[in-house]
Amino acid sequence: MKFYLIIAAITILLPSCLKQSIPDAMLGISGKQIKITATLRYEINGNLVSITVEDADRQGPGIHTLECVKSSNYVLSGITSSGDFVFTFFTDSLKVGNYNYTSSYGPMYVTTFQGKAQYVYGPTDHMSFNVTTYKDGHISGNFSGQLTPVITPGFPNNIYGVPGSVSIKNGSFTNVPVAY
Amino acid sequence: MFMGKRTLTAIVLCLLIMQANAQISVMKLIGNNTKDYKIGFGAFIKTGLPVSEAADVTFELGANIFFMSGYGTQYGTIMCPLKAGYRHTLNGTGQGFYVEPQVGYNLIGITSLPSETGENIDLKYHGVVLAAGAGYMFTIGRAPFDLNLRYETVVAHGGSNNFVSLGISRIISFKKRETEY
Repeated sequence: MKFYLIIAAITILLPSCLKQSIPDAMLGISGKQIKITATLRYEINGNLVSITVEDADRQGPGIHTLECVKSSNYVLSGITSSGDFVFTFFTDSLKVGNYNYTSSYGPMYVTTFQGKAQYVYGPTDHMSFNVTTYKDGHISGNFSGQLTPVITPGFPNNIYGVPGSVSIKNGSFTNVPVAY
Repeated sequence: MFMGKRTLTAIVLCLLIMQANAQISVMKLIGNNTKDYKIGFGAFIKTGLPVSEAADVTFELGANIFFMSGYGTQYGTIMCPLKAGYRHTLNGTGQGFYVEPQVGYNLIGITSLPSETGENIDLKYHGVVLAAGAGYMFTIGRAPFDLNLRYETVVAHGGSNNFVSLGISRIISFKKRETEY
């Protein structure tokens, strides 16, 4: 019995030596030149917005099309055909789980739609992100939200339109690289 | 995270109340991309509850630190695992050689690295902890000691931090066996 327990323990533990370290996994350092495609897509008032970035880990110098950058928090940003898309994960340790931002935290810019900035502002406004995987330095998940358009910009004194009149549905993001 | 701090504080207080002693170990990270790390050190509190003449259920809270070579104490890795184990003595007496598998959770994991631009990269994580060790329990006077060698891995984010540890500890038990030490 003891012999088999020992063998089972060795079998379970030794394969862990073959894995990359946790820091390398979080930074996406695999040593292999694999091209990873990152995507961001969602429907905003029924209009489809989609970003696809091939070889997402090598987007070159300058502004990146789709990524999640760690500063004091984690900021996921994408450049779409209609404007920016931004969501901040208010945490210093991003992990799999739900991240919900409501208007009780204050107005927050999310995206631009039909030439108007869209904010989490109205009493029922929110952006809900669900990170389903965080592996090898990339995150994937889904999201939805409800926003309010800005009629006349002048932050922090924006003049807003009808609260909650813009909805984001069927949002998803895949293999978005996390940069430190 | 707040609930984790409460749990950690409660466990530390319980062990302190029961006069658990800190124990020390030297350890070495092994596996891919670990050559940049120096020999590490660990301090931990461990206590055991005898469940038979031959075995204890053990609880251990530790703090392990590994500094990167060439940077003094500026960069490195800290991990604080909380583990439960089953320590089985091979001669069935509660003394002598034993084997001990452990499982637990890494309460705190922080790796600080230098970036190419000279800024700090601070990575925070938790993860599952698996360990397997062997050791020898002996008595000096009336004080029981434990010399042990252990392999431990922390798994998180699709990777793992693995290390080998050589430690010495003074055993504190909640109750005595039928057999005196």
